[in-house]
Amino acid sequence: MVKTSNLSSFLWEDAPDENKFSECVHCGMCLEACPTYQETGLEHHSPRGRVYLIKSAAEGKLQLNNYFKEPIDSCLACRACETACPSGVQVGALIEETRGQLYHATPAKGAGRVVQKLFLRDIFPSPKRMQLLGKMTRLYQKSGLQRSARKLKLLRVLPAHLQEMEAALPKLKTSPLLGRGGELYSAYGEKRATVAMITGCVMDVVYSDVNEATLNVLRRNGCDVWIPKAQKCCGALHLHAGDREQAKQLAKHNIDVFLSNEVDAIIINAAGCGSTLKEYDELLKNDVRYAERSHLFAEKTKDVSEFLVDLGLIAPKGKLDMKVTYHDACHLAHAQGIRQAPREILEMIPGLVVEAMPDSDRCCGSAGIYNITQPEMASQLLDRKMNDIPSGCDAVAMGNPGCMMQFQVGVVKHHRSEQIVHTIQLLNDAYEREDSDGGMPT
Amino acid sequence: MIDAPLDEKRKQQMIDALSRVVGKKSILYRYEDVMAYECDGYTIHKGLPAAVVFPSNTEEVAAIVSYLHQQQIPFIPRGAGTGLSGGATALNGEVIISLVRMNKLLHVDYDNRRAVVQPGYINLKLSNSIASKGYYYAPDPSSQATCTIGGNVGENAGGAHCLKYGVTTNHVLGLEVVLPNGQIRRFGGTLDTPGYDVLGLLTGSEGTLAIVTEITVRILKKPQEVSTVLALFDKVTDASQAASDIIACGIIPAALEMMDAMAIHGVESGNYPVGYPKDLAAVLIIEVDGIAAGLQEQIEEIMQVCKNHHVREVRKAKDAAERARWWANRKTAFGAMGTISPDYLVQDGVIPRSKLPEVLERIGQISKQYGLRIANVFHAGDGNLHPLILFDSRVEGETERAVEAGSAVLKACADAGGSITGEHGVGVEKMEDMRFIFNDIEIEAQMQLRDVFNPNSLCNPHKMFPKPARCVEMKRLSREVPAVNI
Repeated sequence: MVKTSNLSSFLWEDAPDENKFSECVHCGMCLEACPTYQETGLEHHSPRGRVYLIKSAAEGKLQLNNYFKEPIDSCLACRACETACPSGVQVGALIEETRGQLYHATPAKGAGRVVQKLFLRDIFPSPKRMQLLGKMTRLYQKSGLQRSARKLKLLRVLPAHLQEMEAALPKLKTSPLLGRGGELYSAYGEKRATVAMITGCVMDVVYSDVNEATLNVLRRNGCDVWIPKAQKCCGALHLHAGDREQAKQLAKHNIDVFLSNEVDAIIINAAGCGSTLKEYDELLKNDVRYAERSHLFAEKTKDVSEFLVDLGLIAPKGKLDMKVTYHDACHLAHAQGIRQAPREILEMIPGLVVEAMPDSDRCCGSAGIYNITQPEMASQLLDRKMNDIPSGCDAVAMGNPGCMMQFQVGVVKHHRSEQIVHTIQLLNDAYEREDSDGGMPT
Repeated sequence: MIDAPLDEKRKQQMIDALSRVVGKKSILYRYEDVMAYECDGYTIHKGLPAAVVFPSNTEEVAAIVSYLHQQQIPFIPRGAGTGLSGGATALNGEVIISLVRMNKLLHVDYDNRRAVVQPGYINLKLSNSIASKGYYYAPDPSSQATCTIGGNVGENAGGAHCLKYGVTTNHVLGLEVVLPNGQIRRFGGTLDTPGYDVLGLLTGSEGTLAIVTEITVRILKKPQEVSTVLALFDKVTDASQAASDIIACGIIPAALEMMDAMAIHGVESGNYPVGYPKDLAAVLIIEVDGIAAGLQEQIEEIMQVCKNHHVREVRKAKDAAERARWWANRKTAFGAMGTISPDYLVQDGVIPRSKLPEVLERIGQISKQYGLRIANVFHAGDGNLHPLILFDSRVEGETERAVEAGSAVLKACADAGGSITGEHGVGVEKMEDMRFIFNDIEIEAQMQLRDVFNPNSLCNPHKMFPKPARCVEMKRLSREVPAVNI
């Protein structure tokens, strides 16, 4: 019981917050909620263990070396522990803050550093470069390059998990929504709300059809939609990787852009982005200039499913003869507490049979860039997830592009046939079916 | 026995030897890797283990223990580490044998209503896996979603529903164990075996007699109907008197739980609030179950008893969802204290039910005397109190004050004709408090019993009994005990 007078090992700005880790009383209720603990049974790869290590580092009992880094890196940041925690310890925020410290203490070296800089600092913050990457991918897929590369087995130089991802990458059909047309789209029929829409990076490049569906669904539900061209990446991936400085830059930029006009809500259809956007006030808590506006921004941000259900969804009349199951994206269920809204939307679609997936809120292993940085664990979790899909489903619905890509890998790897869709795509399909069956939108 | 930490050379030899048994991936020994094993659910005393080793079957446990026995290196079995008395803490750098990877449900025998599990199998998973056939496993410690059945056996764990159904020992039908010398032994297996009740002895022995490697437990048919009542009181004495009277009128509830104002403040600030009124003094949760016929009469009788004691509001759960919300709130009570205090020390006193009001008053005095807030959560039906002493370990001297206050609470329980532990075990925490219940001769008798199984105290040493240093006579006596091999 001797007091440690050691200095904290956290030397940089935004150190893990003592108020957050002192809330953990070490009860262990989080253990079995944690996917990495379930897989390994290792205390230091559990939420309680990780919080204990963070606390120990803050007390100067641990140095920020690679041994300390390993269990911090292995965290999916899925926040299932936050749902289980009796005290509501913010494990996700603690992990992000610790990664911020590790970003300085143990900088990436060699090729890893180049890749990290290229993606975090050069590509993601710039929508133009992001779109260029999409264009190059489309070219790769369309020009026959992909076919040749596969034929010549050139892809064998890639690690196995990247080969799997290449094989599963969906055909990029349409160009990104952002900057395609104008900025303003008016409501179909009676106007009920004015909203701004965030298009996301991965969502807009890989799944621009989901963005199209979202735009359409919002307009059908009486929303004037504004898609500001100046918007940028939300910074979620930067936060995951510990690059808080860049994340803050992006956050401030987006706050300036989106609060320059009066809107009822700021809509996002990607759970990972949504959770980061809703926590801009936490990210910028030490920035007095943004204190008030980051809070306002966070309050206005709504996941598309949550917004539609709150607004009162106009029931679709088109019938979809399908059986689907729903996967809870971690950053919807655990980080934003949104579980019912997407299910309510699915229940409202005529003809759609929804079958529950066991443990539907256990992480699929995608977790931002986790499936690239921690392929082994990601793959174990994906295998478990694929086994949980009830038999005979035509599609699996979810609300996050990262999960969609991960499921896509699973479908290819396990030789399955389910379609992987965003919840809003099914809703949009039902509206479109309604149109083709008769009545047009007014 | 080696009581000092191992020197580097011997430690390396040990790591090499144990790695040969379990493989390199199943042993931890680096400082950063074992740091998280410094304590279990009891955080006041800590110790870094020399290594943590993860066997995956009984034979590996036996091989590990044989080696450590041969080298006279002490060791400790550990489950999920949710214990609340420090039973799995390596105070002197012992080797931790973690059983979390022995986590399988081996066999369910519905006809004879029993299940065979490995020690690392999670308590709640058993009930979940047999639910579709209409069965469940009765002992339900609040940590049941994460704690292991092996750990439950070690501590003889209880839970909210043990009032009617009994604690772990009433549900253990057979055990396979590895003795501290590495031999594998089996006990029980049938409903009753002639001779001494070894199962009863092993259950609750806190890892000081053997390491449990397989457990046969009783499973029960789910009751036809369950009904739950919530009663809100303006005075703690009214609530305790009502609890006492419910039992007195002949009803045996499945559970009868109570929380006082401070505890309610904690759970309502936590992740699973019910929405209790802010000015409440106490809440009772009373659950009855069984065949549907007659249950409604019991509920009415319970509500009448509450009304006789000036209940502010009393009502029945309208559906399973509401009942689940009440229970989630109650079962996360300990953890939720993190929202109102950086640290807590939970006590585990037992008292005769009728003494509840006076012991509560005494606890109130202790709280004032030590200047520490105390939240009270009880299994009121069986007189098992869980006063949660709230403190801040960062404040100089506060940890020591909390420990003293805890001891004073246990003294009050013992003085009222009760005991110092109902279900959390003695562990490190209550070793000295054992003297409130036993005199030196009685303690010595128990240590002799331990020596039969664990002659050199290699398995979980320095736990459960008061430090012999305080009693020279006892030390001398224990040296004369011949080591018996069984």
